[in-house]
Amino acid sequence: MITSGLIQALLWGVASGCIYILLATGLNIIFGVMKLVNFAHGQLLMIGAYIAFTVTTALGLNAYLAILVAMGAVALIGVGLERFTFRKVLGTDKLNEIFVSLGLIYVFENAAALLWGNTTRQISSPLQGLQLSIGQIAISYDRLSSILIVVVILVALFLLLKKTKIGLAMRATSQKISASMLMGVNTEKVYMYTFALGAALAGAAGALYGIIFNFNPTIGALPTIKAFAIIIIGGLGSIPGAVVGGLLYGIAENTAVYFLGGVWQDAIAFALLIIVLVIRPTGIFGEKGE
Amino acid sequence: MKKLFSDSFSSIKRTIITFSRSQKFSFVIAAMAIAAIVPLLVNNYTVNEVLTPMLIFAIYASSWNLLASSGQGSLGHAAFLGIGGFVSALIAIKTGVPPIIGLFLGSLLSAAVGFLVGLTCVRLKAWFLAMVTFGFSVIVVTIFSELDDFTGAVLGFPTPLIVDRGLPFYYLTFAIAAVSILTMYLVMKSKIGLAFKAIHQNEFEAKMVGINTAKYRLIAFVISTFFAGLAGGLYAQSIQYIQVSVFGAEYSFLPLMMCVIGGLGTIEGPIVGSAIIVAIDSYLPRIDPFLNGLLGQDGLIPLFPAVSNVGSPLRFLGLGLFLLVIVIFAPKGLTPLMKKAYHNLRRSLKEEKN
Amino acid sequence: MQKSLIVILVVVIIVVAGVAAAWQLTQVPSAEARNIKIGLVAGGQLAEGQDMDRAAKLAVKEINDAGGVYVAEWHTSVEIELVSIDTVDDSNSKSVGPVTQAVEESQVDLLIGGYTSSGTLANQKVAIDNRVPYIITGASSSLVTRRGPQANYGGLPEGSELRIDDAEGMSYMFHYCTTTADYSATVVKFFAEEMKPLLETTYGFNASRNLKLAILYRNDPFGQGVVADSKAIIDAENLPIDVVIERSYPTTATNFQTDLTAIKEADPDAVYVVDFIANTAEIIREGQADVGLNTVYIAVECCEDPAFYTLLGEYGSDQLLESKFAPYAGPPYYLESIATYVTNYQEEYNTLPGMMGADTYDAFYIAADAIERAGTLDKAAVRAAIESCALDQMLIITETGKIQFSTGTDYHEIAPVTFIEQLVWNEDVNECRSVIVYPATAEGVGTLKQASFALPTGYEPGSP
Repeated sequence: MITSGLIQALLWGVASGCIYILLATGLNIIFGVMKLVNFAHGQLLMIGAYIAFTVTTALGLNAYLAILVAMGAVALIGVGLERFTFRKVLGTDKLNEIFVSLGLIYVFENAAALLWGNTTRQISSPLQGLQLSIGQIAISYDRLSSILIVVVILVALFLLLKKTKIGLAMRATSQKISASMLMGVNTEKVYMYTFALGAALAGAAGALYGIIFNFNPTIGALPTIKAFAIIIIGGLGSIPGAVVGGLLYGIAENTAVYFLGGVWQDAIAFALLIIVLVIRPTGIFGEKGE
Repeated sequence: MKKLFSDSFSSIKRTIITFSRSQKFSFVIAAMAIAAIVPLLVNNYTVNEVLTPMLIFAIYASSWNLLASSGQGSLGHAAFLGIGGFVSALIAIKTGVPPIIGLFLGSLLSAAVGFLVGLTCVRLKAWFLAMVTFGFSVIVVTIFSELDDFTGAVLGFPTPLIVDRGLPFYYLTFAIAAVSILTMYLVMKSKIGLAFKAIHQNEFEAKMVGINTAKYRLIAFVISTFFAGLAGGLYAQSIQYIQVSVFGAEYSFLPLMMCVIGGLGTIEGPIVGSAIIVAIDSYLPRIDPFLNGLLGQDGLIPLFPAVSNVGSPLRFLGLGLFLLVIVIFAPKGLTPLMKKAYHNLRRSLKEEKN
Repeated sequence: MQKSLIVILVVVIIVVAGVAAAWQLTQVPSAEARNIKIGLVAGGQLAEGQDMDRAAKLAVKEINDAGGVYVAEWHTSVEIELVSIDTVDDSNSKSVGPVTQAVEESQVDLLIGGYTSSGTLANQKVAIDNRVPYIITGASSSLVTRRGPQANYGGLPEGSELRIDDAEGMSYMFHYCTTTADYSATVVKFFAEEMKPLLETTYGFNASRNLKLAILYRNDPFGQGVVADSKAIIDAENLPIDVVIERSYPTTATNFQTDLTAIKEADPDAVYVVDFIANTAEIIREGQADVGLNTVYIAVECCEDPAFYTLLGEYGSDQLLESKFAPYAGPPYYLESIATYVTNYQEEYNTLPGMMGADTYDAFYIAADAIERAGTLDKAAVRAAIESCALDQMLIITETGKIQFSTGTDYHEIAPVTFIEQLVWNEDVNECRSVIVYPATAEGVGTLKQASFALPTGYEPGSP
């Protein structure tokens, strides 16, 4: 029974999936190249939202331009993180990455709470309140723009990875690190760029998140989990997997909520995750590298 | 079967004999003596809110430690803490069995659930396992909340107590903790423990050598979740009131932090880590007024105008940094550092004597 | 060599512990004059907790500056010392410990505060067992005072572990706050008495058409309580309201479009949103901006807070808020004491006060008054004095104009007056401000109503 409500729910699924696609893609790139998993990725999204918020309120910058500022700032933070924390534990026990992530989560959340306070914030966008309605179905222009922006970013990412030198170096490192080192690729530099790129994507996701939803220092946790669910479903290291996984995830979440009620919102994600992993432990698209 | 029994019995005997001759033995005896005497000398509040939780979390952290020693770093251990707590209390209330039996049954059920979770996790690598276990803990919260009519999870309810709070409960916990940690120690030192280590180091190679990695990973899960459930039951006794917040993510991160800070993989690490974290949690909040006076809105250097109470976030920020420093600079935890300090002290005393 | 070192270590520890124990034993409460220690149970991580903290500090400062509290037993006035009990997020696992410490170690004379129902139900046990008077200024669950024998266990089934059989202990609990029943009653009565007739005159609906209400709530005791109480009152008083749809979501939810879409399909006349500030603002925003659900939304009183008005922005225009303390509906205010409080609060903290703080502020004055009338800090005497409180209403208006704790089956509760405000866009401050639209009058105040309720611009009613 296809009601307008169901179509609306599907539409929301696509719209909310987009932000998670950005986050998941960033995670995937970092994993693909560095074989590193950062559980504090959602906190980078949160910081991105706050930075975008600060430049829009303090400098009066347009909310959509603030996305670029957020991307740049979070990329820099990512570089710092890679250099001073993750690089030190890369190559040691896999569990150490989890521990570092946990420490970072505490640091970021509380630093944000100290700098901006605990109160909930929202970024006001110039498109606020405007909707596109077709019959019974409506979608705000903010959400349409976020879908558009995500598409633009993904295309730019694709071009970066396929056409530029650094992109080539990243792909080479992700496939066979020893071979790429022999070919003269500066692995340390590649790692730096990779993390910066992943962080920039998280920053963009955060700036978009701040426009569409309201946020506070603790919002980073759930998006991380959803991003992970997406990349595991789509296949660790696979970018097309992240896109398909993100859309699937958003649609599944929203239709489940529509039919079963909001209570199952979070649990559905994990149920889906566990089912996929039990059937196919390497995800739908399989794992790249390894 | 008989041979298995006599084999493990003799290996346990061997382990105990070797241990009793070692340096560690006198340490352990001293530590246990201190743990037995100190509660008699401090006030009730310290016993109930500091010392007893130290023991309970020592069990919890040790259980996580055992699982991690097989390379399986679970991020959802709070689920088992909660299952143990709820089941032990619910069984005692609904069926009227003595709460101590409820405690045991709660741990058994936790182990049963752990077995099922372990089954789904046997083929998974570290990061997948972390996510799945985390996801599982979220699902458990949802299920318990949905079945609120039966579990009473949302509003919570008081726990039926085994013994009175204060010293009786402390010594009960002490006894249970001693037995639990001893058991886990014996497991980790046995052939099973060796298999864990091999799997942790390189699962592929372990398989090559003929170790049934799936079987041992599952064993690790069952033992670990049994003791996590036991800790949960004891925790429900300690806070006297069980509610769904016990499943929270922070409780999943706690054993992780305790093991890292204390020393992952060792037997004393989780105990030391638990003592440190519980002490920090209990006593550090007292510096809040001082922090507020220094850095708060009306303080000497009002660095953070947006916050009315800087104590809480500053403390957690400090904890995060502390964890980072430990992982990066002292990945084996604080216990080796403490050991080194102890040895240096001994040496200098020896030199003085000479 | 090794053994002797261990012996030394053990001896040192025993000596240190012995000294500590001896020192503890000497900490006997002295029989001479000392400051009054009042513990404030509030969650430092929550905006509401910070509001309570600020209000408490303001009250304590005012009382101390005015000369403190006269304790007849000592023939002198003493000051109030505020003991901050930070329950972080006010969950039960985080609040029991700090409250226990305050009661057992810091030896507070009195407790004020408590925000979440589940947290308070857990941490009040310490106060009950230790016979410490606890003025609970939050926790909308009436069980906090009704779970004992005096109120027939609040309807809890026999064998329910939430029951408390300790009548003496329960007599130390006081609930200075509204319950879900109180404000749900006001909300549904407003819909029946004010909105339904307006719909009939505006759209020509038949008088036999019941008002269609949708309830969107967070899935916890607070949300569930409101739904249950609202429906109970609709039934009990035969109100012409149909609850056409109920949707709930987990407390961790951050977006609600799907739920709002389902509600839109059910075509209601109004949506009752039961959640705290951040989510309610989000729902009202998403409903209008994303889903096109152009109805009227009503929020619960816990949203009466500066953060709510800021987050809502223009989306709050013409929406409804049930409240019991309205720093935004004026000046001029319906009560003089509000004007004074708002001014002082703003001067001290550079922000407007919220609702949670108002209850807390009053509670400190109630405590000070009780101690003075008791003439001693003996907890049993103070308890009796609180029970016989007859102060004039302060920031929270009551049905009788006085602050009185009932001793019937609505044990140790006050009879607060709650009202409905409509939000109006104010260009000067670039935010909404509120006007009271219902009820018309209140006993202790006189005229309450400041304007008549009007349907929002662009309002779409439910199906005829």
